[in-house]
Amino acid sequence: MKVITQIMLDEWRYWLRSKLGITVLAITLVITIAAVIVNAMEMRQAAEERQTLQKTAEARFLEQPDRHPHRMVHYGHYVFRAPSPLSIVEPGVDAYTGTSIFLEGHRQNSAMFAEQRQSSGMTRFSSLSPSFLMQVLAPLFILLIGYASMTREREAGTLSIMVLQGLSRWHLLLGKLLALMGAGLVILLPLSIASIGAALQGESALVSAGFILGYFLYLLVWSALVLAVSTMSSKSNSSFAVSLGIWLLLCILIPRIGSSVAATVEPSLGKLESDFAVLEALRKLGDGHNAADPAFEQLKKNLLAQYDAESVDELPVNFRGVVAEYSEKKLTNVLNQFAEARMEEERSQANVLRNFGWLSPTIAVRSLSMMMAGTNVETHHRFLRDAETLRFDFVQSLNQIHRDHLDYKTDMARSKSKASSLAARVSSDNWSVLSEFEFKPEPGTQRLENSLPYIAQLLLWCVLVMVMLKYTMRRVQ
Amino acid sequence: MQKDMLVASSLCVSFAQHKVLDNVSFEVAEGEVFALLGGNGAGKSTALKAFIGAVAPSDGDAQVMGMSVTKDIKKIRSKVAYLPESVMLYGHLTGVENIKYFLSLAEISKSQSEIEEALSRVALQPEAWNSQLSNYSKGMRQKTAIALALLRDAPVLFLDEPTSGLDPSAIDEFNQLITTLSADGTTVFMVSHDVYGACQVAHRIGLLDSGKIVGMFEREGDAHIDTEAVHSAFSNRGQA
Repeated sequence: MKVITQIMLDEWRYWLRSKLGITVLAITLVITIAAVIVNAMEMRQAAEERQTLQKTAEARFLEQPDRHPHRMVHYGHYVFRAPSPLSIVEPGVDAYTGTSIFLEGHRQNSAMFAEQRQSSGMTRFSSLSPSFLMQVLAPLFILLIGYASMTREREAGTLSIMVLQGLSRWHLLLGKLLALMGAGLVILLPLSIASIGAALQGESALVSAGFILGYFLYLLVWSALVLAVSTMSSKSNSSFAVSLGIWLLLCILIPRIGSSVAATVEPSLGKLESDFAVLEALRKLGDGHNAADPAFEQLKKNLLAQYDAESVDELPVNFRGVVAEYSEKKLTNVLNQFAEARMEEERSQANVLRNFGWLSPTIAVRSLSMMMAGTNVETHHRFLRDAETLRFDFVQSLNQIHRDHLDYKTDMARSKSKASSLAARVSSDNWSVLSEFEFKPEPGTQRLENSLPYIAQLLLWCVLVMVMLKYTMRRVQ
Repeated sequence: MQKDMLVASSLCVSFAQHKVLDNVSFEVAEGEVFALLGGNGAGKSTALKAFIGAVAPSDGDAQVMGMSVTKDIKKIRSKVAYLPESVMLYGHLTGVENIKYFLSLAEISKSQSEIEEALSRVALQPEAWNSQLSNYSKGMRQKTAIALALLRDAPVLFLDEPTSGLDPSAIDEFNQLITTLSADGTTVFMVSHDVYGACQVAHRIGLLDSGKIVGMFEREGDAHIDTEAVHSAFSNRGQA
């Protein structure tokens, strides 16, 4: 063990004395710390804004004067969700989907049918999140300081001296590996501190630990991979070229290919096609604003029969309110079907991409990271469903007020004069229909369970690179 | 009678179908300086590598201190020191740091004064001891590597083209150092192109050609080996 420690310490001494090593280490560390701090500040500011906006939106809704209830349906309301504490380091799909939704009658939130954006590949270059730095730049850092770990010894003739001095080849490789891992851990430190901070802010300690462990395994994979390439290469420049090629393949190309394959294997409609398909389906339902629409003839007949009435004027409820309620329910069912189909497509695409984790450790750690942080596509879908349930309840509450608190005749005469318009209003006391919206991430154990396939992918990569390292050991002579 | 530290018995080394060493036999006694001379591709470096286990004999045996390279290579490696043609050690470390580091890898503990004594013994200027090896000349690096071998108490020293790239005064210093080590009981096995240098320092010289020993020259008394005789044999090798 003493020998392994000596080798590790000397590697560190080399990095500290060589300008390249210490410069690369310092730059990477500064960028990572800056990314964590900037993200934390942005999150904090966003949380404060969210709280203020939530209160303002609620207050404005409640402050609305006496109005026609359907106008309140279109006035709408915003809901916000607090992102998970770990999204400070792993924003995941939140960076694209956002965390606020506008709730309005007859339509689902805009995010639901927004053009799908891939959460992988080149699109992620736009955001310099700590997780992105760990996934893409940390391997590059390990490559830059580690590509010559063994070739340097070979070129300097020190390798043959060590081997002929009786030094165990395994000890030599282990010392070098620990040195590279140590450098990786320095880079991981800001992310680890942020994860521990997240745990102190309410994140599951298990999840925070799993999150750090995932990145630890990822760095182990890259350290062993770079070392194996260096051990197999006879020259430093060829080791650098091969390592860089592997980095490009695993960190850039395979994630890009994965995204393209996912979009091809599980094709989804674009926004325009989606909008047309939804409009076509909705047109068949009739216009909920027009109680005389033939689509509601059967509803009218049933209602008249139920209340033994001759005309809608005799009904004890406002027929327009009933139509609005009925129409909203039908419309929501149709929209939900489209939304579920869309979410299924997104989920399938995400799963296709996640399977590429067997081919790229970057995809494996990205899937694990997003799953653990609760910033994965499934969590976003859960938020959309919860928000949609809230929207439906909110709109139907207003439709029920329309149905029960506004007389049909008065309602029908609302456009005849200013007085009749004023008469077709209900008291603002009715606006207390907003339910409190609180979206919580899945429990830690559940997120950990969901992450198991990606932990398995990373473990397989670990085994693979260790076998590779053992194989390359023959080249140490 | 001095014991044999190195023994090559009918040593053969083949790469694919090509026989690089063909039935080579010789012995090197304790404290002896033995030089193996030959042209490019004669097999002299292969012979050295066979003794340190870097290549495996295809037939015959190579023994170091009575131990066979095919059976006890780990023990052999712990007893011998090897200096490749281009001794670099670590450029980012000082001479003293290099020695300490490589000793620690061999799990050998030596005091600062012992290290300084070894560096004095190989005649490395004290002002260079604590400067980085990247500032050293080849001769200075070689001295550092030999000091390392001394501190490892290695009874056998293998040198691959030790005077290649050294200036004449460095060669003289090196020869002096080898002579001193030999007098202290260290066995030296060196391979070289340098006929003159080998004659200056070696007790015996083996001439290798196409994997076979084609000549053996020995000191007579205190006189150096006759350079002319070796040079002549070296030039006429393969013509017999």
